[in-house]
Amino acid sequence: MKLLTANRLTDGLVLWYVEGSDLSGWTEDAALATRLEDEAAALLLDEWKARETEVVAPYLVPLIDENTLVKREYVREHVRANGPTAGQTAFDTARQHQRGEVF
Amino acid sequence: MYQYDQFDHAMVAARNAEFKDQVERRLKGELSEDQFKPLRLMNGLYLQLHAYMLRIAVPYGVLSSRQMRTFAHIARTYDRDFGHFTTRQNIQFNWIKLADTPQILEDLAAVEMHAIQTSGNCIRNTTTDQFAGAAKDEIDDPRPWAELIRQWSTFHPEFTFLPRKFKIAITGATRDRAAIRVHDIGLQLTDKGFDVYVGGGMGRTPHLGHLIKSGLPGDRLLSYLEAALRVYNRYGRRDNIYKARIKILVSALGPQEYARQVEEEWATLDQAQIDAPHAEIARIKSFFPQPAYAEKPFDVASLERAKAADAGFARWVRNNTLAHRRDDHVSVTISLKPTGLPPGDASSAQMDAMADAADRFGYGELRVSHEQNVILPHVAKADLYELYRLLDQNGLSSANVGKITDMIACPGLDYCSLANARSIPLAQDISQRFADAELTDKIGDLQIKISGCINACGHHHVGHIGILGVDKQGEEFYQILLGGRADEQAALGVITGKGLSAEAVPGALERLIKLYLELRTDETERFIDTVGRLGREAFAGALHEPA
Repeated sequence: MKLLTANRLTDGLVLWYVEGSDLSGWTEDAALATRLEDEAAALLLDEWKARETEVVAPYLVPLIDENTLVKREYVREHVRANGPTAGQTAFDTARQHQRGEVF
Repeated sequence: MYQYDQFDHAMVAARNAEFKDQVERRLKGELSEDQFKPLRLMNGLYLQLHAYMLRIAVPYGVLSSRQMRTFAHIARTYDRDFGHFTTRQNIQFNWIKLADTPQILEDLAAVEMHAIQTSGNCIRNTTTDQFAGAAKDEIDDPRPWAELIRQWSTFHPEFTFLPRKFKIAITGATRDRAAIRVHDIGLQLTDKGFDVYVGGGMGRTPHLGHLIKSGLPGDRLLSYLEAALRVYNRYGRRDNIYKARIKILVSALGPQEYARQVEEEWATLDQAQIDAPHAEIARIKSFFPQPAYAEKPFDVASLERAKAADAGFARWVRNNTLAHRRDDHVSVTISLKPTGLPPGDASSAQMDAMADAADRFGYGELRVSHEQNVILPHVAKADLYELYRLLDQNGLSSANVGKITDMIACPGLDYCSLANARSIPLAQDISQRFADAELTDKIGDLQIKISGCINACGHHHVGHIGILGVDKQGEEFYQILLGGRADEQAALGVITGKGLSAEAVPGALERLIKLYLELRTDETERFIDTVGRLGREAFAGALHEPA
């Protein structure tokens, strides 16, 4: 099981792929990311690598189960999904989306 | 400070126009990301963990109040209202939109700034002593030489694609505040010319620079640097990114052999075509005069009364001011390390306040230090209390310069795509743990330097206490190094004890400091001196909880 993530070309913000969404397939809210089967994820990754005017540097984030990141990826992907954890510079992604932290 | 001439303006304008076109082509899909990435990096635009980051060069850390206000404008208009002053005397903005970048670069060009050569395998911003031109212990002002190197190295066609990035630092004082021994080239100005150190650096394989030339005349500096870079450019390891810095080449050849090759190369160069003529050196020096010092009557008794009435002010004067070449002035360090907040960050309002402070009390001049603070190099002693109050009203009066809470910390995994672990939250925890002003003063001078990965942007190798964040199978751990220093007695710290969790680090430091306070001969023996006298092994046990 995997998540597809990338950065938006225009502003670099982190995006997560949502299947069947109205948001052109991408959302800033990691909590909404679609859990993809490995084969489908690989196909989508190839598709979005070719669509460079929308997103930059797409890649797959491996999951152990629906809500658990593979441990070796945990810190980086947790920070990426939830925003900086640091003091006055924190961009409180969770608050923006009116939810708690994901993962 | 240096002011652009017609060539500087034309070069920056041409580069900005070129980049504007490249951005437009990228947004339209006419350039692929693979084609565009090296172009944006050449203009300081990185794609980091959460967004684009723009790194702007602050040439040798020198800023005017007008330039600082432009940073405030960028923070307010294009970012999330703050900026991050870096360990290379630059500033980074963490939330930049690609489409805004051409306008930001135009705004910067209007105040004679840019982001060129803040990335890539080229010669980066030359750094120097933040008290240059002001310090009492200065032998010669390094700023004109740094400017000369800036002009020589900007768009240098031969050194645009070096084996790896290249960093030069200069100091002109007896005390090394520019960390020259951990730079690719470190230059020490003496009354006999330059002493040239080569092959220093941190990162994965830290090295201290080796002295390869003494008494190099200033008017031969550029040709000698050209020879040194040529040997590196020719023989540096392009096959292995981890072995590509000059420190590896110097280590492999041996400093003497490297120096011999540089001399040999130097002899073949047409030095007259490279070295700046005396008239040009004099012209550049003319941009760095002493300010028109205000003759303000200074009443010692009045200052003492203010200190007696305001303990915070007294502490700030004690910790944040440095002796100036004039007895009626001091240099003031504005600490960007308030308790519990990220080291090196300033809001747009604080940037404006620092610019106001510079205009009212500091002849319009500011500096950025590699310790991530901002300096007013020339302040009349008569103005100190008024300046302090202005800074205090803006959250800028932390009186901790050189103390345990005046930490260097890289952005770490909260922002940086290269990092393995977070630096800022750890710095915040340590800052809160040692928030007691009396305790930090009792501890005395102590430098903690934190890096979120082996690349060592947080200079952990040369911290009295260095902290290196590592990732162990998805968990952050922190290795503690003891005994490093970046001054004229430069030394590399050594990893001591086992890695600690983030939660364990503040407690470990508390035990370490408690032991130091017990072991020091008296309050004049600094932490680094006690470690030097007793050896780091004497402290290793304190890092871990007693069984």
